[in-house]
Amino acid sequence: MQHPPLSDVFGALADPTRLAIVERLLSEGECTVGDLAEPFAISKPAISKHLGVLEKAGLIERHVVRQWRYCRVRPDALAAIDDWMRRYREFWETSLDRLAKLMERKRDRKNEGSKPDER
Amino acid sequence: MSDDRTLRLRRVIKAPVAEVFDAWIDPNLLVQWWGPENFTIPSHEIDAREGGAWTTTMLSPEGTRHTVSGVYKVIDRPNKLVFTWQWTQDDGSEGHETEVTVTFAPAAEGTRLDFVQAVFENSEQAKNHAFGWESSFVCLDRLFA
Repeated sequence: MQHPPLSDVFGALADPTRLAIVERLLSEGECTVGDLAEPFAISKPAISKHLGVLEKAGLIERHVVRQWRYCRVRPDALAAIDDWMRRYREFWETSLDRLAKLMERKRDRKNEGSKPDER
Repeated sequence: MSDDRTLRLRRVIKAPVAEVFDAWIDPNLLVQWWGPENFTIPSHEIDAREGGAWTTTMLSPEGTRHTVSGVYKVIDRPNKLVFTWQWTQDDGSEGHETEVTVTFAPAAEGTRLDFVQAVFENSEQAKNHAFGWESSFVCLDRLFA
């Protein structure tokens, strides 16, 4: 299955309730919809709506076992976020390496400048 | 999961704290290290005041341009620098905004630099900018293509 655009993933996570739901699912694994609704001062239909957004964004999947409706995080959604973060990390690590080199070159030039007999 | 939303990097740089700090806000120095290897910065505008705007355009060796800009929120020389970061998308609009905090502290070998980029600055803002994420991602994607 093609994964939804990353903008949907981040859009879905930008809501504090939905982020809390995903964090809970990550730490506890599978939960029933009832369990998920419990810590929040909102109705079960409201939770269902949030779960719908998360599901549409490809962050969670729902399945039914007898009368229980379970949710869990889809691992491929997290991989997309990891990838995004990895690119930023790469960008900054290269930049900071270049900054370190620049500062060292500056220092070396300064040191050379303070020894006029070597010029 | 909070760590997945915050990029943290630490470096020790062999130079005095004030010099390392200035390399972030002095345009002449900034253009020498900002961005990936072999990229150049053909244009930039840096208004290094709190509330001042900055923008840099990076040019890849293949000739593609990537513009990123933001606003300085804290300029506490030489200790701390906070600025926002947004890629400009192909249609000219701004992408999702993230916030960068860099702190500088004296270390035995020079300066310890702590870099933090928070991808969700706050939820409300993240919500408003949610649809910029994809483009922001694409910018980085191209940068490393």
